[in-house]
Amino acid sequence: MIMMLPFFTTLIAIGLAMRGLRQQAIGVWVISFVIFLVWMKFHMTDTLNISL
Amino acid sequence: MISLTNSRSNLSTAFSSQLNLLALLAICGSLLAAFYYQIAFNELPCPLCQLQRVALTLAGIGMLLNIRFGASNIHYAMILASALVGAATSMRQILLHIAPGDQGYGSALFGLHFYTWGFISFVVMMVFCALMLCIDRQPNKLSNRGTSGVIATGVIILFFALAAANTVSSVMVCQFGPCPDNPTQYLWKF
Repeated sequence: MIMMLPFFTTLIAIGLAMRGLRQQAIGVWVISFVIFLVWMKFHMTDTLNISL
Repeated sequence: MISLTNSRSNLSTAFSSQLNLLALLAICGSLLAAFYYQIAFNELPCPLCQLQRVALTLAGIGMLLNIRFGASNIHYAMILASALVGAATSMRQILLHIAPGDQGYGSALFGLHFYTWGFISFVVMMVFCALMLCIDRQPNKLSNRGTSGVIATGVIILFFALAAANTVSSVMVCQFGPCPDNPTQYLWKF
C-alpha cells in the first residue's frame, strides 16, 4: 500500500479544479476516494486491543 | 444575504463562497497544525493519521469546487462522503487507544489527542453540509467564473501547497511501501 498515492491523486484533483476542469477534478476525486477506501480496509481490519 | 423565494431559501453566491472559504481555511489550519507538530516536535504521522489528512484534503476539494464553480449538491456530497470516512478513521484510532493505561498516540491539544479533534472536525463538517444543503440551493448556476478576490486565491494556493507538502511528507515517512505502525524516524531524507 503506497501511502503517497491518495495524497498524489488529491493533489492532481486540486490542480485540475484550480485550472477550471471541474469534471476531471471530480473524476480524480472519485479515484482518490476509492484508493482511500482500499487503504482504510488495509489499515483498519486488524484486531482491537480491547476486551468486551 | 438570505432571500426566501417560493418557500426555498437561497444564499447569495458570494455568501455561499465565503462560508465555503471559511471551511476550507479551517481545513488548512488543521493540516498546518498537524505539520507544526510533525516538524517542531518530530511527531511523525501514523498510517491512520495520514488517512485522516487525506480525508481532510478530500473534503477540502468539495469546498474548493464550491468556491471555484459555485455551490452544487455534488460538491456537498463529496464533502459529506469524505467526512464520513474521515470520522470512521478517527473513531477507529480512538478505539485503538481506549484501553486503560494507554497514553494515546502523539501530543494532546487542549486535553484531546489530534485524532479526537479529527473526529470532532468531521462531525462538524457533516453538520456544515446538512445546513448548507438546506439553505444553499443554487441549481444550474455552475460556472467557470474563476476565483475572485485575493483571500480566496491565497487560501486555495495554500490548500494546494499543503496537499503537495503532504505528498512529499508521506514519501519521507513511508517511502513507496506500507507505512510503519509507529513511525519514529523518516525512512527517506533529502
